[in-house]
Amino acid sequence: MNEFITLMKPELLLMAMIFILLISKLGVGFNQSNLMKLIQGMLLINFIAGFFMNGEGQLFDNMYHTSSLIVLEKNILNLGMVLISFLFTDWFKKCDHLAEVFVLMLTALLGMFYMISSGNLLMFYLGLEMATIPVAAAATFNLEKKVSSEAAMKMILSSAFSSGIMLFGISLIYGAMGTLDFSEIPALLNGDSLQVMAFIFLFTAFAFKMSVVPFHLWTADVYEGSPIGITAFLSVISKGAIAFVFVSTLYKVFQPFHEIWYNMIMVLSVMTMLVGNLFALRQQNIKRFLAFSSIAQVGFILIGVSSNSIQGATSVIYFVLVYIFSNLAAFGVAGLVSFFTGKENIDDYKNFYKTNPLLSWIFALALFSLSGIPPTAGFFGKLFLLTSGASNGNYAFLIIAALNMMISLFYYLKVVRAMFMDKNENPILPIQINFATKIALFVCGGGIVLAGFFGFVFDYIQALVK
Amino acid sequence: MIANLPNYIFFFLAFIAIFFAIMVITAKNPIHSCLYLVLTMFAIAANYVLLNAQFLAIVQMIVYAGAIMVLFLFTVMLLNLNADSEPVKSNLMKFAGVIVGGTLLLLFTAALRKSIGDAEPVMNSIPMQIPNHSNVGLIQNLGWVLFKDYVFPFEAISILILSAMIGAVVLGKKEKVQLSTND
Repeated sequence: MNEFITLMKPELLLMAMIFILLISKLGVGFNQSNLMKLIQGMLLINFIAGFFMNGEGQLFDNMYHTSSLIVLEKNILNLGMVLISFLFTDWFKKCDHLAEVFVLMLTALLGMFYMISSGNLLMFYLGLEMATIPVAAAATFNLEKKVSSEAAMKMILSSAFSSGIMLFGISLIYGAMGTLDFSEIPALLNGDSLQVMAFIFLFTAFAFKMSVVPFHLWTADVYEGSPIGITAFLSVISKGAIAFVFVSTLYKVFQPFHEIWYNMIMVLSVMTMLVGNLFALRQQNIKRFLAFSSIAQVGFILIGVSSNSIQGATSVIYFVLVYIFSNLAAFGVAGLVSFFTGKENIDDYKNFYKTNPLLSWIFALALFSLSGIPPTAGFFGKLFLLTSGASNGNYAFLIIAALNMMISLFYYLKVVRAMFMDKNENPILPIQINFATKIALFVCGGGIVLAGFFGFVFDYIQALVK
Repeated sequence: MIANLPNYIFFFLAFIAIFFAIMVITAKNPIHSCLYLVLTMFAIAANYVLLNAQFLAIVQMIVYAGAIMVLFLFTVMLLNLNADSEPVKSNLMKFAGVIVGGTLLLLFTAALRKSIGDAEPVMNSIPMQIPNHSNVGLIQNLGWVLFKDYVFPFEAISILILSAMIGAVVLGKKEKVQLSTND
């Protein structure tokens, strides 16, 4: 029993929060701002509690397993959740269904935790569904807008489609091997064509969820239509969780197939970077712009995945940490602007610096980090991804990646130029920033600057991966 | 002949299932389409009986053929869908669909063919093995498996259903809000 509590602590805490939120809707009504404080406090406690009393081991016949690395991954996701609750305070306070939004987001987070900890394909599938269905419901919470319903509809249909493909793959794996246990599958993989087919189906579903090109078509519409807090959750937390699971599944379970997935990842990565970058070039809406930029970032993550080494796994986890800071900072600023002014076009950001210097500096820092300009952490993240990718000796692949970094530099700096240099008759009026939001923005900014300089972060992750 | 009887029954049921599945997608009237789907579900349920999974067969009939199909029929009738309102697909779409479907079929056949060629004895012995475990599909055994080996997913799924309910309630409330503002 004691072991059960220590090992499942992150999940149990999330469940406790979900039930507290549910009860808060009954009887004694909290007002919005008290409820928001309660939620932020609980998330903060949850994040801090993640560092203490952790164990390693497995439960329920290897259905659930955990290790220091998995605990670290969960802590990173918890951090992202805390930042989201602080960054979008204003939007959340205005939302009519505040408790429900957080119940749905926390359920999705719980699903991601199950998925990361799963030791069985069945449990993995359950976690994946739990990580998508509640977010699709939350995507429609801009109740008065039609695009919001459209986004939810597109997301639920495309995720159901990809789940169908994944289930088909899982059933083929069960048919070919007679087991779904992650610890038994590697020994049974012998390169049989049915197994390869099953693996490709599973891989496709992963690609769908990570919005890898050519499975990315849902991404931009869903990101544009959802309320911005949910968009940030989707693009940062969901994507990070899937990247973690992708790495551990490929490296541990499907290791015998690494020659097969190396080629697949290489082709997909090149396509993802190119399409993501080229489409981001011509976006006018800031949310769509960030959506395509996040597609391009996934392409870079895949370079790290393709290396099939300890360094590769480390660099992916490190990059996700950096990506959480930079992308959340970008979404935080875009969210403030769209909440207070309703403006979402890049042209509206012209001369943003004159009226909102703090916000434009944070935004610029985030964009620098996303494009990988030193000395921001994004530079180190990409550097590690590319060096681990280089260990395979496939230099043509790396040259394409480097060229893509140049393209991305162009469109990220275009926004920076609009903010700092372009003239505008009526720029966005000065925005009154909430105290909580300000803290979160500073944490993001600090993370972007400092995570690159503290080399022990990378070393620490690497020690855990081993 | 007798030894192969389960195989013959299987092929017969599989034929029925596939035939009605094709009818589902070719039928012009959505209601007919739904009814053909019921028949497909029944054929699959009969296949479960053949595999000694009696409980699963009953559940399949009650849940899919009973509950879910009734929901489908209700939706179709409430939305008043009929053959006229069916969107017309362009020839290009049809052509692309045929190519994609055909390629997938080819891939499957190739993969299965190669796989069976590699491991012929295993594939052939699977249908013959099943009658030996004649208790496998009884509710008692199912209960043991569900509450012992798979108790964690079984409990975990309750939170997913809870969140789905919460989402549905919020979306359902939306209509009320709009109605009250209209009045």
